[in-house]
Amino acid sequence: MPDLRPILLVEDNPRDVELTMAALAKCQLANEIIVARDGAEALDLLLGQGASHNRPLVPAVVLLDLKLPKVDGLEVLERVKSDPKRAHVPVVMLTSSREELDLVRSYDLGVNAFVVKPVDFGAFFEAIQDLGMFWAVLNEPSPEARQSYDD
Amino acid sequence: MSDLHTDLDICAQEPIQVPGAIQPFGALVVLDTSTLRVLHRSANAAAMLGVTPAIGEPLAIDPKLLADVSAWMSSGQISYARQVTLPAGRFHLDAHRTQQGLLLAFEAIEQDPETSTDPVYEELRRFIDRIQPASDVREVGQIVAQQVRAMTGFNRTLIYRFDPDWNGTVIAEDGDGTLPSYLDLRFPAADIPAQARALYQQNRLRLIPDADYAPVPIEPPVSPVDGEKLNLASVSLRSVSPVHLRYMRNMATQASMSISLVTDGRLWGLISCHHQTPRHISPRIRSACDFLGQLVAQQISARERMAEIGQRIALKRVESELLVKVARTESFQTGLTANPLLWLSLTDATGAAVVMAGEVRVTGITPSDEHILELAAWLQTGPNRQVFATNSLAAQWPPAERFAATASGVLAVSISQLHPSYIMWFRQEIVHTVTWAGDPRKPADPTSLSPRSSFEQWKELVRCKAQPWRPSEVETANDFRTSIIDFVLRRAEERAEMTEKLQLSNKELEAFSYSVSHDLRAPFRHIVGYAELLRDRETRLDETSRRYLDTIRDAALSAGRLVDDLLAFSQLNRTSLIMGRVDMNKLAAEARASVMLGIRDRRIDWHIASLPEGWGDATMLRQVMLNLLSNAVKYTSQRETAVIELDAYRDDAYTIYIVRDNGIGFDMRYVGKLFGVFQRLHRVEDFEGTGIGLALTKRVIDRHGGWIKAEAALNQGATFTFALPRRPQETPLA
Repeated sequence: MPDLRPILLVEDNPRDVELTMAALAKCQLANEIIVARDGAEALDLLLGQGASHNRPLVPAVVLLDLKLPKVDGLEVLERVKSDPKRAHVPVVMLTSSREELDLVRSYDLGVNAFVVKPVDFGAFFEAIQDLGMFWAVLNEPSPEARQSYDD
Repeated sequence: MSDLHTDLDICAQEPIQVPGAIQPFGALVVLDTSTLRVLHRSANAAAMLGVTPAIGEPLAIDPKLLADVSAWMSSGQISYARQVTLPAGRFHLDAHRTQQGLLLAFEAIEQDPETSTDPVYEELRRFIDRIQPASDVREVGQIVAQQVRAMTGFNRTLIYRFDPDWNGTVIAEDGDGTLPSYLDLRFPAADIPAQARALYQQNRLRLIPDADYAPVPIEPPVSPVDGEKLNLASVSLRSVSPVHLRYMRNMATQASMSISLVTDGRLWGLISCHHQTPRHISPRIRSACDFLGQLVAQQISARERMAEIGQRIALKRVESELLVKVARTESFQTGLTANPLLWLSLTDATGAAVVMAGEVRVTGITPSDEHILELAAWLQTGPNRQVFATNSLAAQWPPAERFAATASGVLAVSISQLHPSYIMWFRQEIVHTVTWAGDPRKPADPTSLSPRSSFEQWKELVRCKAQPWRPSEVETANDFRTSIIDFVLRRAEERAEMTEKLQLSNKELEAFSYSVSHDLRAPFRHIVGYAELLRDRETRLDETSRRYLDTIRDAALSAGRLVDDLLAFSQLNRTSLIMGRVDMNKLAAEARASVMLGIRDRRIDWHIASLPEGWGDATMLRQVMLNLLSNAVKYTSQRETAVIELDAYRDDAYTIYIVRDNGIGFDMRYVGKLFGVFQRLHRVEDFEGTGIGLALTKRVIDRHGGWIKAEAALNQGATFTFALPRRPQETPLA
């Protein structure tokens, strides 16, 4: 059964937001797509902080850009993965960087996947579609994930 | 050579300063320094002087003379010479003050022809005129020998020079033929023992008018002042050792006189005079000879110093020239080996070596590298590490006998505090013949204290010895050492500074590529993405518009790939290799599958042999394989049937892989450009690519310590061969 919880896209670049949305739209997923434009906003949503959200968001997957204003992707990842209630949320790091250190650090912090955005839009498109399909449709969430969703 | 020293060293134990007697050609009276009463007298004093010196009583002589002696005493002068009149006649008085009293030595003045001072003065003046133009020490010696013989009338005068081991050589001689020539003979050090040499340095002139004299005892023999035997070191009448008298008889000489040549506080040599029959030399002539001896010593000293200074200046010039050349080179070792003549002439050596971190570099005639390393290790254990010089290495370190022919002389300077690092100079062994005055090793009979009875010439072949290093050469080597150490330190500092700068610019480069990777890649990605979106959206576009759109997309795509390749290239230098065993068959299969992904309608014959395992970084080697196979596929695209072969073999050092194709190849004239960044040998429209692939491939192979080469001919295919060093067998992984 598809996981109908929303997909959280954390991306500061509006063009990347638009292209990613276009790719996800093509998959015709039923999931709502929520966009956070920086790390701080993403943390507010995920941890239920800030004025506008009293209930934390538990997405099916977080597509997280590495380089973000205010709080960068690695820090968001670290905060999410170190919170026992949120640690089970799948996080996919989307980035332009091939820098080895980012990769190693991301895996150290418990990232579920690490995707270097390809220049070729076709490849990018396929990657986004695969990610969306995998995490939102094919992946069976862990029992903890279901539970926190039911909270 | 050590038995030389056993020979007559026993002589040194003879109490030659306190013989208890004098020779009979004069009389001795010793007075108390404060009361001027008699403390000692020689047994012949009363008879010779015509006045009896009674022990404990004042000396009954002219009060004017006593007053004169008192005045001398209070003047503080140590010695005093006068002509005095005593009841028995005119005497020459030679007085010395010691701890034990005033030693007054009287010698009768003979009625000889040279009563006025003028002839002696004239002689000395002429002598100085003759000696001035003499250029070297031998020539000076010759003139001195003639002069002294002329003044004294001895049968033979010798100029005798000590070597550093105190062996003597006769360097000049003058004689009337009565006595045999000793020119160029050597006398072992033991002939003039250390104690005698010490005495010679103190008291410059000795006379033995008749070797068969009867010694005249001193009464009493022991000094009441200190309870010791009376010290006669300063008295020329002093009785000599019976050994010495026997020595004289061996030489068939009845009378002898010797004058010390002391230069810079060291006994340089002797003027040694001999006569077949007894011969007395008056105090006047003796004192002229003594003066002449001092003059000669100064002349010798000045000439030796001049020669040394000249040498020093010449060597300094060589040193500066060599240092200038060394400073221009990357390492001083290279600088030295590139200038062998200067390096050798710095110390006038026949060979030279530099040992640094276990590496040996040599020039000229030297021992083997192994022997040089052994020598360096031995030097490291010794006390003279900064500068070590010897002209007989084997004498100090017996294993060196194995290479005595090339390196009997060694001058070595240490250039490291911690490691056995040295600059060394070598001198070859000089196998030469030394003519000794008698066999220097013939054992002397210790019971009789007899010197050698034979003065026949005895020839000895000297082995394991080289020409000694001159002080100026040793000094130059030491100066050079300081300069080299400065040079090494300066280079190390420069290198540290350079490394720091490089690290800084490396950091900048990293920051740069990081931001390029983020900020330059993204726009290209966006162009491609939006072009695609537009193309999907506008279904009614005509063909030209569609082509424009595709071109925008393709251009952005290739720019993006270029950025990716550049980043990969720069990353290659910053990433460390993760070495391991690499299954090259698997790598080749993966690479082949990967390059065939987008390929259709091609006939490709693959011949992939079983490949031996490689040793390297699997990720990077995968890239190499991918690049070479994709090139092979790319450049065979115009062939009806492409043939791509992959083969390998091993030699002792490398595993060698070969990728061969039957593609369009290239002109070997451009092979030099093949592995450069952005170098393309084909037009872009014919074959796409960023021009980085082979540069990247070569960089990977280089980083593995291997090599890569390409062979091709236009339209006849290309062969790429790369070699990876084989796994170091014993080296454990860190």
